[in-house]
Amino acid sequence: MRLRQRMKSCCFLLTLALAFGLAPLLGQSLEEKVTVHALKNGLTVLFGERHGAPVFSTMYGFKVGSVDEVPGITGTAHLFEHMAFKGTPVIGTKDYEKEKVLMEKIAQVGREWSLELAKGERADKEKVARLRADLTKLEQEQKQYIIKDEIDLIYSNAGGTGLNAGTGTDQTMYIISLPANQFELFCLMESERIRNTVLREFYTERSVIQEERKQTTDAVPSRLLNEMFMGAAFIAHPYGNPVVGWASDINSVTLEEAQAFKQKYYTPNNCVLAIVGDIYPERAIPLVEKYFGDIPRGEDPPIFRTEEPKQLGERRVRFEFDAEPLLMMGYHKPNFPSKEDAAASVLAYILTTGRTSRIYKDLIQDKQLAVSIYAGSASPGARYPNLFTFNAVPRFPHTLEEVEKAVLEHVEKVKTEPVTEQELQKVKNNIEASYIRSMASNMGIAMTLVRYQLLFGDWKLFLKYRELITGVTAADIMNFAKTYLTPENRTVAYLVKKAKAS
Amino acid sequence: MKSIRIQKLVALAAAFLVLALPVLGQKHPRELPKPPALAFKMEKPVTFTLGNGIRVYYLQDTELPLVWVLGYFRGGSLYEPAAKVGLAPLMATVLRTGGSKTRPGDKINEELEFISATVEAMDASEFMSVTGNALKKDFAKLVEVYADLVMNPAFPQDKLDLARNQTLEGMRRRWDQPMQVGSFLFNEKLYGADTPYGRRATPATLKAVTREDLAALHQRFFAPNNLMLGVAGDVPLDQVKALLNRVFKGWAKRKVELPEPAPLTERADGTIYYAYKDTPQANVFLGHLGVRRNNPDQYKLDVLNDIFGGGGFTARLMKELRSNRGLTYGIYGGIFADRDRGPFQVASPLKAAQLVEALGLIKGIIQDLQTNLVSDEEIETAKNSIINSFVFRFEQKNRIMSGAMLLKLRGYADTYYDTYIDNIRKVTKQDVLEVAKKYMDPAKMIILVVGDEKKFEKPLSSLGTVKPIDLKALMEAERGPQK
Repeated sequence: MRLRQRMKSCCFLLTLALAFGLAPLLGQSLEEKVTVHALKNGLTVLFGERHGAPVFSTMYGFKVGSVDEVPGITGTAHLFEHMAFKGTPVIGTKDYEKEKVLMEKIAQVGREWSLELAKGERADKEKVARLRADLTKLEQEQKQYIIKDEIDLIYSNAGGTGLNAGTGTDQTMYIISLPANQFELFCLMESERIRNTVLREFYTERSVIQEERKQTTDAVPSRLLNEMFMGAAFIAHPYGNPVVGWASDINSVTLEEAQAFKQKYYTPNNCVLAIVGDIYPERAIPLVEKYFGDIPRGEDPPIFRTEEPKQLGERRVRFEFDAEPLLMMGYHKPNFPSKEDAAASVLAYILTTGRTSRIYKDLIQDKQLAVSIYAGSASPGARYPNLFTFNAVPRFPHTLEEVEKAVLEHVEKVKTEPVTEQELQKVKNNIEASYIRSMASNMGIAMTLVRYQLLFGDWKLFLKYRELITGVTAADIMNFAKTYLTPENRTVAYLVKKAKAS
Repeated sequence: MKSIRIQKLVALAAAFLVLALPVLGQKHPRELPKPPALAFKMEKPVTFTLGNGIRVYYLQDTELPLVWVLGYFRGGSLYEPAAKVGLAPLMATVLRTGGSKTRPGDKINEELEFISATVEAMDASEFMSVTGNALKKDFAKLVEVYADLVMNPAFPQDKLDLARNQTLEGMRRRWDQPMQVGSFLFNEKLYGADTPYGRRATPATLKAVTREDLAALHQRFFAPNNLMLGVAGDVPLDQVKALLNRVFKGWAKRKVELPEPAPLTERADGTIYYAYKDTPQANVFLGHLGVRRNNPDQYKLDVLNDIFGGGGFTARLMKELRSNRGLTYGIYGGIFADRDRGPFQVASPLKAAQLVEALGLIKGIIQDLQTNLVSDEEIETAKNSIINSFVFRFEQKNRIMSGAMLLKLRGYADTYYDTYIDNIRKVTKQDVLEVAKKYMDPAKMIILVVGDEKKFEKPLSSLGTVKPIDLKALMEAERGPQK
């Protein structure tokens, strides 16, 4: 049975915490395996050699995510990620010159239509219908020149697997794994996409994303709660916006706006590429130079201004939904690579990871107030100061209030009693082991390399992460809890069951 | 090490020089030279049998200091009594959390988590798996705990209560998400609520389970001669043999009987089911029964499935409903094989305002596959994709091992993979048409929709007789009086 469905999920990458430390011996051997090659246009390429099966996995990321969006165009980073599968002037077309003429008309009609739609209730319904009809006609006409989803077609024929992409708050990542003899194909395809993506079938894809939002947020209680929670926790910083975008913006963003967004951020100097598997850098580098080397360097991405102001008091959100109750709580904190971030990461582990964690033992196993409670230390991203969070699923008939109170008791305990040496050592042992496990797959390695190089400027910073984790003391955790896990720095969100189901 | 690499380099130098020639401007991938053929050998695990009948699979992997242990016992929820559905998953959970007669579960938690090792058990309906992994330095410790748990589980009452309470809460929440609701309702309609394939656990069946039931189910399946046990990782074969012989010593063979459940019969008769839920999309499941494993048409079906609904964006369902029309974020479908007949099914959360149109498109795609030959390009892409991505089955050694074990467990020949590529190569357009006609019957398909009919462009009754399903009543009946 083969089940392959590309889920261009907006969240599968962003939830990955920075949970990789490094065992000293392995660190050395990984450094031996990694070759860094910087192109003149600013593209950083990282090679990881692993000569097992004759395959390789690649991931490249742009340092652009929903955090780089402004009001009105939320969801554009993610929307553009979808568009990057629609081809180029060379791929996906039978006659680009003829297509281009139609696409200019589509852009113009689509823009008028979108602007009218954006008026909401005040929109001229007849005008909307007429423009929609014109657009449909143009799109039908364009179809004769389109080779449908040719990127997928080419990679499928070549034996590629896992063609996908993901947008998070901080970055956008593209992935594909291929047999080792397809390296040049990879270089041609991806350099072409980075250089020349054409926003073909833009308005159809916008509809797909409207459905994506409904499927993955509006119909999913935990995702909806997350959206409500983040919106309350951040009043100024764009971490408060959902990655998929607000429905109004998805419904009206134009092709030109997506194109402008691309121009700003999809530059080689804002990109890191990792290639891991059965490849030899000395042979791969000339091909990488040949295909990626002449992509023009772009402007530096715009500077980022907005800082979240200090929270002055507890914020509470409560909304009704046709589902059983859920709880989310969080506190503002500094991000990686701070000492506080490391303390938070160890604390989250001690509180809720595994059957021996404090909250599992007390609230899940003994008191059975909830069926799951998870702490996280880097939501919803890591580029900017972020949140220490709890997600809890209460067990009937226990209430959200009971669960909240019980979790807070554990938070208070950390402020007055040091965690034990045994607890600290357990976390450190697990962080080291999880690093080793992440080295068991080409894509796992590629992901680690890209993350650290792209977000923090050097892949070796994950050595720093281990150093920070190893250095965390019981006092650091207590200080972190006292300073940051305070009522005035807290946001709490409740999803409660609709009083009367319709 | 270094010298070997240099030799390889020299050997490939010629091909490389050709590839490195400069080109002017970007070209289409079809203009690239044909890549050199990919050489790879299919590794196979070593197998042997211990004195008490444990069938062992072993594959060495020295890349990282890790080790995996993977055991499969035939048996599972297919063989549960109807009044105690949910027993097998509970038994799996409590086997691990309850600990053994000499090692309390909480103590095992402490020991394993401190060294970052895991052991977990799961029900997979026709078999139960117990998997473990650890750093290689802890291999002996891991296997000792593993063996003790599978041979001597304690099944204490408190851990049964914990597992049951957690499962009950999961049942309260299974009505929250529309695709999940659609999925279990569809299974019930497709296979029948009175069969082990279509029934589902309820609070009543869970509450009927006792510790004695767990012990009896364990006694029934967990015998050495019913265990297939795999070890992969950075441990030498002689060490594995010595350790397994030691820890499983004294575990005696027993007769294990697994009577085959009654064969499924087709119930699908074109009925349209509608379950109201206040949710933005129309969550749709369509289908009827599919095929059994080891069907001689399997290779033809693999190609058909790739073209129909399994092959990502090159598949017709995805191409038409998502890429061309923007009616969904995801849709998949296919004719699947299982122990008894698997499903022929299509599933998708669809745009509510164009539901009837979308259902028409899905039916149209099926009918077209039954009427016309697929295009040359489609069949080539499907076959190339299956053949050229085959190497990824051998990317990770622990997965090579589990792949070989599952093949055996599911009754396929050991040589299945050896001949797989050739068998796919032989499939023709005519074959695809033939199996589409033979195994798909759109008139018979159940259509099940979870959503809000007020949002559909036309009532479902425009497609035929609709049988409503009252979710609220079902949920309330299941939960019984509250508070």
